[in-house]
Amino acid sequence: MLFGLIVIFSLTAKDFASSANVWNVGTQATLLLLLALPMTLVILTEGLDLSMGAVLSLCTVILASVDIASGSLGLGLGAALAVGITFGVLNGWLVAWMGVTPFVATLGTMGLAQGLALVATEGRETVGVTAELRSLWEGHWVGLPIPIVGALVAYVLLHVVLYHTRFGARVIALGGNREALRLAGLNVNWYLMLVYVIAGVCVAVSAMLLTARINGGNASAAIGMEFDAIAAVLVGGTSFTSGRGGLLGSLFGVLTVSVLRNGLNLLALQASVQVAAVGLLVIVALAIDARAGKV
Amino acid sequence: MTNKSSTGPAQHGTVLETGGHIGTQIETRSKVSNPLLTLSGISKTFPGVHALQDVSLSLWAGEVHMLMGENGAGKSTLMKVMCGAYEPDAGEFRRDGIRVEVRNGADARRLGVAVIFQEFSLVPYLNIAQNIFLGREPMRCLPGIIDHQRMHRDAREVLKRLDFDVDTHAMVASLGVAQQQLVEIAKALSQHARILVLDEPTAALSDRESERLFKIIADLKAEGVAMAYISHRMEEVFELGDRVSILRDGKLVASMPASQAMPNELVALMVGRKVDMAYTRDARPQPGRTVLEVKELAAANGVHDISMKVRAGEIVGLAGLVGSGRTELARAIFGVDPVTKGEVLVNGKEFRAGPPEARECGMAFIPENRKLEGLALERTVGDNLLMAAMPRCFPKGWYIPAHANKLARDIIGQLRISTRGPHTRAQMLSGGSQQKIVIGKWLLDDAQLFIFDEPTRGIDVGAKEQIFELIDGLVRQGRAVLMISSEIGEIIRVCDRAYVMKDKTIAGHLERGDLDEAKLVRLAVHRD
Repeated sequence: MLFGLIVIFSLTAKDFASSANVWNVGTQATLLLLLALPMTLVILTEGLDLSMGAVLSLCTVILASVDIASGSLGLGLGAALAVGITFGVLNGWLVAWMGVTPFVATLGTMGLAQGLALVATEGRETVGVTAELRSLWEGHWVGLPIPIVGALVAYVLLHVVLYHTRFGARVIALGGNREALRLAGLNVNWYLMLVYVIAGVCVAVSAMLLTARINGGNASAAIGMEFDAIAAVLVGGTSFTSGRGGLLGSLFGVLTVSVLRNGLNLLALQASVQVAAVGLLVIVALAIDARAGKV
Repeated sequence: MTNKSSTGPAQHGTVLETGGHIGTQIETRSKVSNPLLTLSGISKTFPGVHALQDVSLSLWAGEVHMLMGENGAGKSTLMKVMCGAYEPDAGEFRRDGIRVEVRNGADARRLGVAVIFQEFSLVPYLNIAQNIFLGREPMRCLPGIIDHQRMHRDAREVLKRLDFDVDTHAMVASLGVAQQQLVEIAKALSQHARILVLDEPTAALSDRESERLFKIIADLKAEGVAMAYISHRMEEVFELGDRVSILRDGKLVASMPASQAMPNELVALMVGRKVDMAYTRDARPQPGRTVLEVKELAAANGVHDISMKVRAGEIVGLAGLVGSGRTELARAIFGVDPVTKGEVLVNGKEFRAGPPEARECGMAFIPENRKLEGLALERTVGDNLLMAAMPRCFPKGWYIPAHANKLARDIIGQLRISTRGPHTRAQMLSGGSQQKIVIGKWLLDDAQLFIFDEPTRGIDVGAKEQIFELIDGLVRQGRAVLMISSEIGEIIRVCDRAYVMKDKTIAGHLERGDLDEAKLVRLAVHRD
């Protein structure tokens, strides 16, 4: 599907295949990847995190304000991380200990984060972050844009966590056969909690890139990004039940969604059309999967 | 057989005296003063059911303790108590004579208890090695990182013991049932447990694989492992068992050295109670025309070579052990699972489609799990009753509340459903009343053939009788009934004749005159 999209856009959109655009797509995709990777873990546990977009927006607001007020990037990052982890803990606690279904729990925290972001900014944008922070988006490190380096590091880290640690095996078991974990004498609640906390940390990291990119914080900067992340994970073949799927699939899912959006952008189609297109992509991908008898 | 007292450690004295030819065990025992694991006075109650009542059991080193009993006798509950999956309401555990607490799986594991589960405790999208070592993965020196090499090497070693040649990187989801069972066995073996619980481990295995398992059991015995082995197969009891205990209705009714047990006695003990309940039916008129006829049916879910008939005005039982294919057969007849061969005739017409068409033909399927499949618990009694019959009750397409109310009230009266009225939520009703609603739902739809899957599961005794009367009433009005039941006594009391299933096909057919417990159990259990 990714391949098909690339061919179509190369033929129809003038600048699609230019090297500048390829780098552009790659860099843009990093934000989505940083959400889709932890979303993969969450969905593997038969969960869902709807709060990602709202928490990400809140993080940009906090990060930008602290960065501007104190002039210290480190302080800002710490604040954003604190916000991300707090929401991760809250989601995990609601899902694991309170037994709230993930959809409802994270829908609630989504509203909470959204509201807090609006209160903090009084609806205004916070602009003009330090050059240090801005360089995180525009800068290069050994010839690669920093966002891409960051996303690759995140991918490798989560790959190791999911496939090479006890914790990772338990994440897959949480969705595949939760009873097996209980019978093995393991307390599943902590693992669930940790999955949502990882999501919170990743959100804070992507807030760093997003704030750098838009040069400030905005209460609605990332609204709806959880939709793209879920779409990417589903297109990548991860299933809501049974613990089937994985990170590599999500990487391809992220590229597919990013290419689709970029291509439509170059064809000068509005953002609203793009959202519809992503929705269509999910439906097509899952229909193909269901036909193949895999879902 | 009169040995009906509960068994505990105290009774082991008799074994020492009588079991002359199991000399090796006597020697081991005289050295060791306590059993490896003793359960005493274990009780466990689920809402409405005494799953276990005052059960006491000892497992000795180097001894295989067979556990037998009918479906629902409490074997699986006992096993789950032993491995810490259920916390008993009363009773205590002793390990080597010392009192211990078993509250969860971790406690049981610490005591050296491992279980081979029948319902697999495997994770489909982890590979074989990861499943075997789930929760106990070998680590590298770096904290938290799994040593995949060692894990796969260890896994191959355990599997080799089972003669199971497979790539340990394969996902469990890609394995067949028998292979999954082998992985499950390997998982328990790899724990090097001192106490091993086996829940019908050979149910899914071929003879060759079973033989291999028996050899391993013999090795483990020599190593001094204590085993509790749940089985339905008589030959296993005598081939493997040192001691056999029988559970019935949640109680341990007998325990004896396997060498002293006779097959017929064991069957009698499992079946136990004489038919002593209130419900005895008057003779029903001769059955009429054939309503359902199944010819050499095979289905994708595994049932095969099924031929049977159900006539108007008769109740036909479908007996057999759990897993023998009864529910699968019902699902194939009703068109839920695809039929691959043969045909189903309803009133002489071939039928081969899905549930909506089955309904059109006048078939009603009352599933075993009524809470999940038969009822919308949050909705009212009235809503539930009218669910299936909407098009019939309101032919013009308009929902008329007053009319709906009247229909619901009629059925409530007719079936004597104890509810305050059609507006009560179904959730608030007892199990028996809920079951009546499911039946009433199909009555309103004017069904002619009722297929019941365990109609009295989870219903208390009084309500059971009412359900039987209701089923009796259905056939007296000329309807046909096919009834699946695990309770042999129920089949005998209620049914006019019965088919007995085993290994996904029909093992025998018993006419009214032949319908007795011993014959039924023999057909369901024996391998010949």
